[in-house]
Amino acid sequence: MSFPGPVSGRTPVDEGSPDSGTGTDGYRRLNRKSLLSIYFGHAVSYAILLGAFILLETYAERFLGPNYVLVRYAFIAVLAVVLVYMAVAPPVFYARYRYRITADRIDVRSGVLVLRHILVPIERVHQVEVSRGPVNSALGLAEVTITTAGGVATLSYLELEEAERVAELLNSLVGRMLKGRVPATEPAGD
Amino acid sequence: MIAPGERMRCHPSVIVENSLSIVVLLALLVGRFETTAVAGVLAAAVAALLLFNYRQWSRTTIRFSETEIVVERETLFKLKKTLPYAKIASVNVNRGIVNRLFGTARLQININSGSSATVPEAVLTFRQDMAEEIRAAIADRLYGREAAPDEDEEAEPLATLSPADVVVHGLLSVPTYQTLIGSVFLVYSVLQLYGSAGAGFWADSRALASLTMFFIVQIGPSVSLIFRYYNYRVYRRGDTIYLQHGLFRTYRTSFDVSRVNAVRVKSTFAARLLHRSWIEAEVVGLASGSGESLRPVLCLLKDDATQQTLLRELVPEFVYERNPERQPAGARSVLRIRAAAASLALVLAMAWPSLYVYREAADLAGVAGAVLPWALPLATVLAVLAIFYATHVSYRITEFDAGKDLFSFVNGAVDREAVTMNYDKVQTVQVTQGPVARLFGVARAEVYLLSSRGGTSISSGYFSEDRLGVIGETVMERIASGEYDWRKNSV
Repeated sequence: MSFPGPVSGRTPVDEGSPDSGTGTDGYRRLNRKSLLSIYFGHAVSYAILLGAFILLETYAERFLGPNYVLVRYAFIAVLAVVLVYMAVAPPVFYARYRYRITADRIDVRSGVLVLRHILVPIERVHQVEVSRGPVNSALGLAEVTITTAGGVATLSYLELEEAERVAELLNSLVGRMLKGRVPATEPAGD
Repeated sequence: MIAPGERMRCHPSVIVENSLSIVVLLALLVGRFETTAVAGVLAAAVAALLLFNYRQWSRTTIRFSETEIVVERETLFKLKKTLPYAKIASVNVNRGIVNRLFGTARLQININSGSSATVPEAVLTFRQDMAEEIRAAIADRLYGREAAPDEDEEAEPLATLSPADVVVHGLLSVPTYQTLIGSVFLVYSVLQLYGSAGAGFWADSRALASLTMFFIVQIGPSVSLIFRYYNYRVYRRGDTIYLQHGLFRTYRTSFDVSRVNAVRVKSTFAARLLHRSWIEAEVVGLASGSGESLRPVLCLLKDDATQQTLLRELVPEFVYERNPERQPAGARSVLRIRAAAASLALVLAMAWPSLYVYREAADLAGVAGAVLPWALPLATVLAVLAIFYATHVSYRITEFDAGKDLFSFVNGAVDREAVTMNYDKVQTVQVTQGPVARLFGVARAEVYLLSSRGGTSISSGYFSEDRLGVIGETVMERIASGEYDWRKNSV
């Protein structure tokens, strides 16, 4: 198959970008604003957990009887552990998160406790979507969802401009690839 | 013969087909409430349902043009569904009891879609001869003018499967955990019946409830499989694989071998004791819906030697000289730590119920007083032993093999599965390392294919990160070198 671009060299196609996100290994890092977004998301989740705890405090005693104290302390322990995790995890996530887009692949490395290395060949990309929630909108961040025939990969907490650029880059790579196929499909009469 | 562009409707029997189950349910309820006004409401509901389905039928038209099938519905919710022939992955026919009564068949049209991988894109009911004609016409386009065989045409099946094989398959291919749960219900109901002499209605009703659960969990699925795979035949012509089976509902399925993403050789614990296994395929765009098994079975439970022969004849594209590797020593440590954590969680969870049962049963007289107080601690100990044994077996049997064109994972301590996958069908590779795995330098891979169940993943055991990285690298190398042919693999 003829594939346009520097496939074999695996040169990041966005190398040389003026952004400071590109490291020496060609991987790009997140903007520090992502930390704010992650902390805010964690705060919302923690508020929901606290709400559940307040409900437990208010109503659970009559249902649980003598077991109430045990459940209460277990819940407090969970709240403490989650609080520590939510405080500590974002910097670790930020430090570890990196992604690289080359002419032939999308590479994402991430994780706090569990490390993940996701590889998506550009050839498999069906659809690229840029989306923003209210918090990310306020912070000027967005996420890029890359859909393949067998699942999705997500680039999270990118700056809006960067997200648009990534989406455009992916679309152009997919477009170039499909364009390369047009002459081959025409004689088949499909 | 259908003229191109001619608008047509499904066979009117589709009204009965779509209404039958709900009408039966409502009719039963009408009988229950025959003297009350509720019966009138239910009867009105039946009439409304029939009217609704009649309206749906009368306002739904199908048009077969030169390039596409268009399904249009002009009801409150308007619908226009266009299915280009070029996007159709498979077209299959099956017939249920209602179809047989009316001389019709259900035509199931699937396209390659991740979002609707588990349901057909269109299900159309026509007179049987018309359904076969349409199927043959679409198959012509799909399989390059290779005629789909007539139902009556004799074809040489690749394996001879007797009714006894079908029964054995039905009984032994039910997952082992399901068999265990079913057995627990059966034992409980027998004990209840044994001890119910003079115990009255409640003991009998508990036994009956437990027996019902045994039938639902164990017997129902087995009988369903026996009915489904009755008179099973499989054969291949050119690049097309054909399946025919079914007792009450008959299934005729065909798909191009290029649509097969992976082949699974599976065996339950009981099947392995008899050295038997069965073969399933992950086929894109073959959804049959209705909660039926979404992976076509390429061969029912047969001895391992027959399976290997059949694999070579039926899907040689998925057979290669394997050189499997076992998990490294680090994996054993990870598995043991996982087993210890699971055991600890189990012991903690069972501590309070054990104490409670001990207190309640300590004063009982006779055998019950001697056995019951220790029942839960004993069950917990057995479960912990089972966890460690499963861990030991899992470490021993898990394999990974990276061949030139294909790669495979073998998994499953109890119900075993060897999955052979094609690099060219891999959509995404994810290598994951948890904190414990990091300590011992191992990782797991999840491979995402477009499967017949949608975008599901297939997991490996614990191997070194570099070793698992070979999967993604091989996928990329095949694309770069031109070995990957998008015409054969495009979804």
